[in-house]
Amino acid sequence: MKALLTLFLVFVPLTLLAHGVDASDQAVLDAGGLLAYIWVGAKHMVTGYDHLLFLAGVIFYLKGYRDILLFITVFTIGHSITLTGATYLGIRADEHLVDAVIALSVCYKGFENLGGFGSKSPNLLAMVFLFGLIHGFGLSTRLQSFDIGADGFLAKILCFNLGVELGQVAALIPIVFLIRQWQGHKTYESFYKAANTYLVVAGVALFVYQVYGYITS
Amino acid sequence: MRKYIFPLLGLLLFCSHDMFLKLDTYFLEPNTEATIQLFNGTYDKSENAIDRSRMRDASLLGNGVRTAVDSAQWSEKDGATLLHLTTGAPGTWVAGVSIHPRKIELEAEAFNDYLEHDGVLDMLEQRREGGLLEEDAVEEYSKHVKVLFQVGDERTKDWNTPLGYPLEFIPLENPYDLHPGHELAVRLLWEGEPLANQLVYVGYQSEAHSHGEAADHEHPSEGGETHSHAGIEEHRTDEQGIIRFTLSEEGAWYLRTIRMVTTQQEGYTHISNWATLAFGVGQGHSHDDGGHEHADSDGFPATVFWIGSLVLLVVLFFWFRRKK
Repeated sequence: MKALLTLFLVFVPLTLLAHGVDASDQAVLDAGGLLAYIWVGAKHMVTGYDHLLFLAGVIFYLKGYRDILLFITVFTIGHSITLTGATYLGIRADEHLVDAVIALSVCYKGFENLGGFGSKSPNLLAMVFLFGLIHGFGLSTRLQSFDIGADGFLAKILCFNLGVELGQVAALIPIVFLIRQWQGHKTYESFYKAANTYLVVAGVALFVYQVYGYITS
Repeated sequence: MRKYIFPLLGLLLFCSHDMFLKLDTYFLEPNTEATIQLFNGTYDKSENAIDRSRMRDASLLGNGVRTAVDSAQWSEKDGATLLHLTTGAPGTWVAGVSIHPRKIELEAEAFNDYLEHDGVLDMLEQRREGGLLEEDAVEEYSKHVKVLFQVGDERTKDWNTPLGYPLEFIPLENPYDLHPGHELAVRLLWEGEPLANQLVYVGYQSEAHSHGEAADHEHPSEGGETHSHAGIEEHRTDEQGIIRFTLSEEGAWYLRTIRMVTTQQEGYTHISNWATLAFGVGQGHSHDDGGHEHADSDGFPATVFWIGSLVLLVVLFFWFRRKK
């Protein structure tokens, strides 16, 4: 029962998720100045289930807090580069396609955690950096969907980025805590396999959903 | 009483000096923050913000209650004036702004150009017929703009309540009850009475990426998203002050008119009143500014996804436990 409750706590917060960028966010940005960009950036990360599922997959694979800090830092550097750079340069792509690739990253991580690559697993740190770049491009595409205006353009991008980092930390703390707590439990192996199988399935489902969205849009 | 103007004239009209109240999406959720934009220029681009001291009236009308907009609710951004509000109960809402008259002096050629570019063709013709094209003008002008927006799904009756502006459009049906392909009739009132034989221009803006229809004219907006404009339709009100037009596509629709007359008022040669009305036509799905919404609101319900995810997780968990 305790295992089920933990399972619930790990994933149910994500039920509130999805990319909640809408007219009300635009209204917040219009009314609130730079702090609003921090808020919307944090909100986007906390409600961006694909980003968090990928990070959850990364954390599952790691053994200690030091590794977690290292990998999250690499992921952060990766997504900050493309989030800031692509937005500043006005580079964007169809967001369904970008999100489809991000969905594949979720699938990839679950597959790798389940030992799908065997001994030929690609360098994880490099892959996390690569996927960080892709996730950052997705974040940039979303930021560019707002009417940011020309005033304080770079400052707004940086504040959105800061918000993303704060949201990431806020979302990761309970996830890391709960996974680490469960690691000492006898049901952890079942949970590990279930969660990573779920990541594979969810990644495929999100990929299909985004491709369908691309085709129909 | 209708004809389609060629895109070239449409382009000229896009260079006009109208005022519009508009929203990024005309379909809002109840009790959420929203922004109504006051554009002074064209529907696409605002050339300058409007100082609150110029506003004779700024009102919100919803669920039978008219509320004066507090000046603190306004801000300015990139030449536009923004009204921040929290949407109230579900219903069809109206927002309106009427500004105090202002004076403008123009030399004859500039005045003629402005009449042509802004579509005040009756006055231009009157000057041409009267041999007055060389006459300079001193004009008193004022603008009165409205927007209808839908909060939630419930339709309420405020959409046809006059705000009492000198020149005002009143739809004869709630646009949010209509879908593409339907005809909409709109009455134009001058000081509360139907205004006959008045030129009215009707235009719309659709999101090219999401609606995919060919358009006569398209250009990137400030946000980089491509919007499409169909050719502007020119209408002339009938004896009851009514125009009728077909809502051919989903998107943002707007009407504009300028009633200009000559005057004997000291210090002036002309008086004009400008009116616009904007509203949305569609299925009620929201757009951010040119972007897509994701699983939470645009199609696939996120809750279904996550409930399914949780069920799958639990099933997998027990399956792996049993297997072990």
